[in-house]
Amino acid sequence: MTTTDRLPAAAPAGRTAPRGSRRRASVRTAERRWGLLLAAPATLHTLLWIGVPIVVAFVLSFTAYDIIHTPEFAGLDNYATILGDGLFWRSVLHNVIIAAIGIPVSMFLALVLAVMLNRAVPGRGIFRVMVFLPHITATVAVAMIWLWIYNPSENGLLNIVLGVVGIGPLPFLTNPDLALGSVILVTIWQGIGLKMLIYLAALQGVDGQLYEAADLDGAGVVQKFRHVTVPMLRPATFFILITSLIGNFQTFDLIYILTEGGPANSTSVVTYRIYQTAFQEFRVGLANAQSVVLLLILVVLAFLSRRIVGGTDGD
Amino acid sequence: MATDTLSPRTPAAPAARPPRSTSLRRQKRLASGGVLAVLIIASLLMAAPFLWMALSSIRDPTELAKVPMPLIPQDLRLENYTEALSRAPFGIYARNSLILATAAAVLNVAFGSACGYALAKMRFPLAPAVFGWMVACIMIPFYATVIPVFLMVRHMPMFGGNTILGAGGTGWIDTWWALIVPGAISPFMVFLFRQFYVATPTELIEAARLDGVGEFGIYTRIVTPLIKPGLLTVALLSFEAGWNNFLWPLLVTTSDSLRVIQVGISSFRQEAATDWHLLMAGTTLAAVPMIILFLVFQRYFVEGFAASGIK
Repeated sequence: MTTTDRLPAAAPAGRTAPRGSRRRASVRTAERRWGLLLAAPATLHTLLWIGVPIVVAFVLSFTAYDIIHTPEFAGLDNYATILGDGLFWRSVLHNVIIAAIGIPVSMFLALVLAVMLNRAVPGRGIFRVMVFLPHITATVAVAMIWLWIYNPSENGLLNIVLGVVGIGPLPFLTNPDLALGSVILVTIWQGIGLKMLIYLAALQGVDGQLYEAADLDGAGVVQKFRHVTVPMLRPATFFILITSLIGNFQTFDLIYILTEGGPANSTSVVTYRIYQTAFQEFRVGLANAQSVVLLLILVVLAFLSRRIVGGTDGD
Repeated sequence: MATDTLSPRTPAAPAARPPRSTSLRRQKRLASGGVLAVLIIASLLMAAPFLWMALSSIRDPTELAKVPMPLIPQDLRLENYTEALSRAPFGIYARNSLILATAAAVLNVAFGSACGYALAKMRFPLAPAVFGWMVACIMIPFYATVIPVFLMVRHMPMFGGNTILGAGGTGWIDTWWALIVPGAISPFMVFLFRQFYVATPTELIEAARLDGVGEFGIYTRIVTPLIKPGLLTVALLSFEAGWNNFLWPLLVTTSDSLRVIQVGISSFRQEAATDWHLLMAGTTLAAVPMIILFLVFQRYFVEGFAASGIK
């Protein structure tokens, strides 16, 4: 707008108005046309490969479909099946357990590390890289490494370590009582890096004057942490919590490699259960209904965590 | 010490304070030493699995059977790598992953930046709807749509022996189309690009329009050069996601010549069973390229990851 107003100064007085408005109109047309054109590929692509599949998932969730024969309308049968499907809800419960233990522990450790690394520590770049490496590495590779660390023989790394204090060897991944805990340990180890990074970025945005003011009021270190650091980190905490919860319900690669949901389904998670239903049992209609339930769970989680942590509208 | 570590400080803060008594200063130095010790132990614990992977990959297989197994391998056995390479075509796997990851980077940079720029800087019909749609897409996990996407790929009309209605054949299954196309443009990358473009000065665009530069030229030649670090961030994040992708390539490829490295590792696991020296050599081959890429471009990765929060 302002650009066209500035135009007349340069142009001869008599022809200013018509030329300016014509030019302004053509610029607006070009902007509208090019805006649509530039946004079109990504928009159409996501409509086709995310929008259509969501609708298809919803539609197929009301059918019986085995990939080979044509889908048959089955009403709410699949949802009724899910309600009575103990293994599905057990898988959901495993996700909940992994989240309930793994997320708070890794968030706490990440916060402690971030606070430490926010100081002028020698070699903080190296520390940051080492903590972050598990996140950058493919989960398949990570799972392979832990499969070897958890090896049930005396030569698994964890059993070597436990052997020093006279425990074991333990069958970490083949004992139903130990397997889920072993999975959780890996999720904590892999999850710390990203959470630390987000906390670190948030800490660097905290105004140093707040601490000086707290100093003047005679606040101790613990008080400063509780009354300055923690409230200032609330948006970051909300952000980490919600993304971790969503990420947790997408755990798949780790389970696929480490345990295949076993032993005795003790580590089955929602995504793995959906994978089995669709690609091993070929109950595609049911698997789509399970996907719809997963989506609903995530929506509810997003809503709940916003209420609990009280994230601001800004995040 | 334990409590003092919790007080965050900007590097400049201690210098700005007036000098205190020596005992306080000594306390502070002790605390710093404590923090350093905790950090060293924590980061060693974090890195230990990778160290164990590397050590195991050069271990003589006879050591694997020894009890107790020596923690440090007695001699360096690089033959494990050549043996792993001869037992499974890791070269082909790596090439396939490289193609997939590069395609993801190029497509996301090209189309993600176009859409991100339009959303940030242009007024066009439906712009708010497009933006809302992209944000909604970010929230939708791939696992919720993977089955329909698989079915769409399998029933792609006129491909893989399919009729025009998409029946009869295998569609895009086991082709590069299936590997690359469905995940080619990530809505999150569009969102990230929009954030980068929002921070650029609008006056520049207006000035360029006055000078008669076309809209496409403004996008490619005037504004986009300003967000070069952002381009690199998106390229790296897309490359990383492509290189580390597992479930989708697992579902849509069956032949060895199209297998990507993560799926290759998974199938090599069946083949090498308990030959952990070979399995760890293969895993090292799959993990190291990303680690190197991260070390080189750390700054750009960090910026993108801090904004994403999602693996």
